[in-house]
Amino acid sequence: MELSVIELSKHLGVAPNTIERWVRQGNLPVSKKGENFKFRANELEKWAVKHNIKLNLSDKKEPKKETQTVVSLTDAVQKGGVYFDISGNDVQSVLLASIEKNNEIPEDFKIDLLERLVEREKALSTGIGNGFAIPHPREQLSYLESPMVSICFLDHPVDYKALDNKPVSILFFILCPELKMHLHLLSALSFCLRDAEFIAFLETRPELDQLIKKIETIQKANPV
Amino acid sequence: MTVIKNWYQSIYHKLFQMDDRLLLIIAGSIAGICSGLAAVALRLSLEHVLEFLHPFRNYWWAFALPAVGAMLSSLYLEKVAREGAGHGVPEVIYSVSRYGGLLRFRSSFSRLISSFLTIGSGGSAGPEAPVVMSGSAIGSNLAKFLRLNDRQRITLVGCGTAGAIASIFNAPIAGLVFSVEVILGEWKFVNIIPIAIAAVAGAEISQAIIPEQVLFNHQTFHVGFSDILPSLCLAMVTALVSVFFTKVLRQTGKMAKKTSFPLWIRAIIGGCTVGIIAIFMPIVLAEGYHSIQSMISQTFSMGIFLAFVAIFAKIFATAMTLGWGGSGGIFAPCLVIGSLTGVVFHKSLSMIIPSIACASEGAYALLGMTGLVSGVMQAPLTGIFLIVEITGGYETILPLIIVSSISSTMSHYIEPASFYFKELIERGQFLRPGTDARILSDLNIRELIETGHVTVSENMVFREFINMLKTSGQNFFPVIEDQTDEYKGVIQISAIRKYALDPAMYDMVFLNQVMETEVLTASLDNDLQEVLDMMDINNMDSILVVENDRFVGMISKTKILDLYRRELIMQTSVH
Amino acid sequence: MYFSNDAVQVDLDHSYLASPDTAKNHAKGIFDEMGVKPKFYEPKNFTASSLPDISTNFDYLCCPRSVSDISSKIGLGHLGPKVRRLIKHGTFPVLITSPVYKPWKSISVFFGGSKNALNALKLGLKISMASGLPLDIYTLLEKKDESYYKDLVKKDGLEDPVSQISTHWHFYKKQDFDSMLYDVTHNSLIVLGAYGHGIIKDILLGSKMEKIQSTVTNNLLVTGPNCSVSLP
Repeated sequence: MELSVIELSKHLGVAPNTIERWVRQGNLPVSKKGENFKFRANELEKWAVKHNIKLNLSDKKEPKKETQTVVSLTDAVQKGGVYFDISGNDVQSVLLASIEKNNEIPEDFKIDLLERLVEREKALSTGIGNGFAIPHPREQLSYLESPMVSICFLDHPVDYKALDNKPVSILFFILCPELKMHLHLLSALSFCLRDAEFIAFLETRPELDQLIKKIETIQKANPV
Repeated sequence: MTVIKNWYQSIYHKLFQMDDRLLLIIAGSIAGICSGLAAVALRLSLEHVLEFLHPFRNYWWAFALPAVGAMLSSLYLEKVAREGAGHGVPEVIYSVSRYGGLLRFRSSFSRLISSFLTIGSGGSAGPEAPVVMSGSAIGSNLAKFLRLNDRQRITLVGCGTAGAIASIFNAPIAGLVFSVEVILGEWKFVNIIPIAIAAVAGAEISQAIIPEQVLFNHQTFHVGFSDILPSLCLAMVTALVSVFFTKVLRQTGKMAKKTSFPLWIRAIIGGCTVGIIAIFMPIVLAEGYHSIQSMISQTFSMGIFLAFVAIFAKIFATAMTLGWGGSGGIFAPCLVIGSLTGVVFHKSLSMIIPSIACASEGAYALLGMTGLVSGVMQAPLTGIFLIVEITGGYETILPLIIVSSISSTMSHYIEPASFYFKELIERGQFLRPGTDARILSDLNIRELIETGHVTVSENMVFREFINMLKTSGQNFFPVIEDQTDEYKGVIQISAIRKYALDPAMYDMVFLNQVMETEVLTASLDNDLQEVLDMMDINNMDSILVVENDRFVGMISKTKILDLYRRELIMQTSVH
Repeated sequence: MYFSNDAVQVDLDHSYLASPDTAKNHAKGIFDEMGVKPKFYEPKNFTASSLPDISTNFDYLCCPRSVSDISSKIGLGHLGPKVRRLIKHGTFPVLITSPVYKPWKSISVFFGGSKNALNALKLGLKISMASGLPLDIYTLLEKKDESYYKDLVKKDGLEDPVSQISTHWHFYKKQDFDSMLYDVTHNSLIVLGAYGHGIIKDILLGSKMEKIQSTVTNNLLVTGPNCSVSLP
């Protein structure tokens, strides 16, 4: 395998003109080809060992793109789904009812999730005002395959100790396998919840498809 | 034509595919032979011209001879060869450390001619430095012809030097040691073998051409334990003399530069002074190998007082020759002064303690030479091996080591930089491999610069900028003018934090009201040393690079550390 | 100037300048006329106490034909040996000026198919893009036909830029070399590669280059074998 100056400079993390200088000074093994230097991989590896330099030629070190963070809100909502007719009179009971209804959460973990959600609510209420709450656990839920946002419309508004002391009627569960996604979804969601039109739209208790379309239009109007 | 070309290329390729070492050994021996020839040529021609001029020394106008020679030599260097003045050794060292030993082709002969003119006419200087210059230039140009890289070229420069010194003294080990100790400054396995071979080749050439086998004939010396104490004292004397010699050389040089005369007039003045001294003290003339010979073989006729004066006369004459425009080295004058010191020391010793059972005067002349060579050049090994080889035996090695180490240590204590390095250190050009200065000079700003920064227009509204911030990871935003891309200032995120958190400001200001214009910037011409100083003084972690009013990129300390470390590994690892 | 494999000494003192003392003012005057602010290069390092080291990190180098030791050859219109060495080792194109001042109205590239010629073509394209001047390509058909040269350009990915800028590609038969040179308009900047293949031609610049530079009076921009040009 042969490498060019540019390729090698990427592997070593130095500028191409540093490579050229090293060649000129005779510090790098080079198999000259015309005016463009070429390097043989096996010679380079020997050289790297001799100089105690870390060099991994076979594995292109592309910095890992943080694909997790680009999870879109619509995908998460699609996964999480919309649930109606959640009954209950206090925080714990509505949370329990919501979790029971949600099919995406594995049965074995439902109790654990509920405990975590309740614990989170005790620490600080997730009621953000305007009758919304965004209950979520503080830890990542590694058993989930992908992040989800499930929206639960309550039968009766519940006192949620929200910021504006209004009773809460809609819950947005954010359940993520990784914390980074969580932050991203939370920011996207709260952006939507500040939109007056969207709030009015939520009052109509829309179905999943309409809801997703609405979110898409809002996001299109305000690209990040 | 194509046949020749193909043939050349296949040969060339085969040479390259051979082990690097074989190539270097072959090329090194060629360099050694060539520089040996150059050295022999200079030595023989000097001998002949001195012999030829000898009858004229009795005329009254003889004092003008060195003046004429020095004038011709300085004119030659200035007008024909167009090279800088000086003896050339610092130039070689500088070139080795900074440009991988690149030397001009003309250097391979120009110093030979100019020093031939200076010394041949009687100027007090040594032929060694010119020969070193010429030998190293031969090595360098051989490397250029073979298209070798810097590391290989440096080895060949070392080979040329070693060949030259080995040839002029007929002392191969001294050549090797001088080349590595003074010129290259690093003992590397790959260097030593080609240089050793070149040194032997140079010495063989000189033996083949010049029939007398040893430069300085002598009889065997009997140096015993009783000589250790006297040699301790001698070492201290030589250290003092070498420091004095170095100081006088430099001071006269500075004095000459202050005068407003053109170089050739200065050379005449210097030459005349030497000529006038020579009327009373002919020993100061030329390189002085003959007087050394007579001192070693104990046929030296001067009395103690006269010899004492001769030391200073020689020092002064050498300073006048070299400082005022002549061309040549200090190696031979060192030897003369050293042997004079040794002789004076021995004479005074036997005068104070007549019954002392120490070695002969010749032996002390040799010890004095070692002392001076070690003291002036601060190259103790060169001093030891040169004398060992000249005397052809190891019977004097113990006192030699004592004198050489004490003399170099003491003169190092008084004057930390040796004569060869002083000039370079003063200019910040003493760049031995693996030192901080060397790494900083090797790393170019262009290699460190990080590009790909987003620039912003000075007419951008602050809100737009804040929106841009959301998706950007940059901490510095260079602000440029719309049309011309001219650099105007910079926005540091850390500095605008309080406005950035105040939405009321967003639509009120343009970026040119927010940016800082007084931030220091570097340019591509700056050395890394300068940039680092700038960053240190102002406590910056990164600095903008602006060239011709255009923003080029940024340099951060993180990047510098990363590359500095790699460079250090590169330079210090064993090949 | 210390290049990667050679050191070239360029003296700009009494021997090459009529009066070094006024040279700086003269240069300033020329720049002022054009409304450009000159920046004078201050050497930082010195080889010997009086010999400055000159950086080799330039984008272009402009030099007269005659930076030379042998004046007799220059009289015959030959390039000085110094200029050759600068071209040979320089990582920058060398502009060899014409004896009189002529503003350029077009760019002409002499394209012979070698690697240097490709570099020259790139450089011609670059200048043409930056200045908006029309670009002409002149090719002498030596053994191959027109399509060979077009393929060469295509292989190097230069087809698009060549077609984007309005270029004319002129082809000449092998024996029409002289007429090609006469066809180049007098106020055009000629960009050409120093034809260096192999050892002999590395030492002497190509015979064509020699012929061109002694025949035409245009400004010549020469890319040497070590010159690297990249399109923006």
